[in-house]
Amino acid sequence: MNHNPQSSDGKHDDDSALSDFLASLMDYAPTIPDELVEHYLAKSGFQCPDVRLIRLVAVATQKFVAEVASDALQHCKARQAAVVKDKREKQQKVIYLCLLSFLISFGLSDPLLEQDKRLILTMDDLSKSLREVGIEISTLPLYISLHVLVSITK
Amino acid sequence: MRKSRSKRKSNIHLQQPTTNPRDFQFMITKVAVSQICKSVGFRRSRVSALETLTLVATKYLETLVKSAASFSNAASRTQSNILDLTNALHDMSLQVGFMGASTLYDHNNCLLKSSALESLSDFVSSTNEIPFAKPIERAKERESEEVNAVPGSFQERGGHIPEWLPRFPDVGDTNENCDKRVNGEQLWENSSLVLGCQIDGFEEKRCGSNNVGKLPKGRSRIKFRVNNGGGTRVGLNVISCNNVFGQSKDEEEAEPVAVCEKSVKSEEKQILVYKRRKKRCQFL
Repeated sequence: MNHNPQSSDGKHDDDSALSDFLASLMDYAPTIPDELVEHYLAKSGFQCPDVRLIRLVAVATQKFVAEVASDALQHCKARQAAVVKDKREKQQKVIYLCLLSFLISFGLSDPLLEQDKRLILTMDDLSKSLREVGIEISTLPLYISLHVLVSITK
Repeated sequence: MRKSRSKRKSNIHLQQPTTNPRDFQFMITKVAVSQICKSVGFRRSRVSALETLTLVATKYLETLVKSAASFSNAASRTQSNILDLTNALHDMSLQVGFMGASTLYDHNNCLLKSSALESLSDFVSSTNEIPFAKPIERAKERESEEVNAVPGSFQERGGHIPEWLPRFPDVGDTNENCDKRVNGEQLWENSSLVLGCQIDGFEEKRCGSNNVGKLPKGRSRIKFRVNNGGGTRVGLNVISCNNVFGQSKDEEEAEPVAVCEKSVKSEEKQILVYKRRKKRCQFL
């Protein structure tokens, strides 16, 4: 029974850390509002008088969505880096460097890097990142419509 | 559905007013999810991708909460606590993985020390607060109206009954009408088999005729007289009984000698012996 006082101390530390965390939760306003979370809790049969647990659930969901979104962002950036690499190989490097210096003198950024501002969340990136979490999403392939086909052939 | 939509809050507008409550929650959740995506770094998104992510977030929340509720129910509790929530969080994060997942159910493992909770606290401390962008129409006013409308409220029923359960049905008056059933059925304790005098309220479906179970009010003394002649067998059949009795041509007192009750299978008539005897005398 020698480990008992140590374990009780450990439990006190854990309890204090957890209570600190729960107290900090009350200061942190999760993005998902409390009323919405309470609605979903009532819908699923979760009864809890403690407000901190509602915040905990909201924070857990927010963390999950943030992880999925950041994974999708990584996929998006990786794809754009591959595209940028191809483009830079095709261009002549001399002309490109002149243009870059010209633009930088005016205070503008590299035009090829502007694609960062156009980071778009697409179904491809989302399905890849959700597959890592265990959710399989299948989308119908996009078909070119008849009108577009007709205009292309003409 | 393929067009991009900007994440800036000024451009998000609800095209149609949502009257369906399910759509309303979905719209709110979509705004919250798009705010999270913007904080991660996205500037635009496809509408279909945003709706898919919103659906996934909704289902994640519901699944997390449902498993927490079932954990608490398994421990014979109705209200969940942080331990139930921690277990549910572990269940949801097993695919992604977290530290200590292999030793989850060891005998000396403390739930409160779980790394899932630690990662949540790190997330809270590290990320900036993102308040919800749009003001939500306060549903609490609606709820308070509903609470006032429900008569079976907290004060009346006591705190042990949750408010979201419907109220008790009206017990109504304790009249005699409550005791009477639809087709005139009655409890067997109240039937004439036991009481012997009540004819009302018979279950006519069960009996073939109206006379089953009827006993005369008073039973008189029964005398049996067996004659040697005739060769008739004494049976339980009423007719043979009557033959036995009927062979004595003596004029007997007109008292009900026997009333034999028939089995249910045969036809049942209430037979008064002295009446038959008169008839039999004609045949013999």
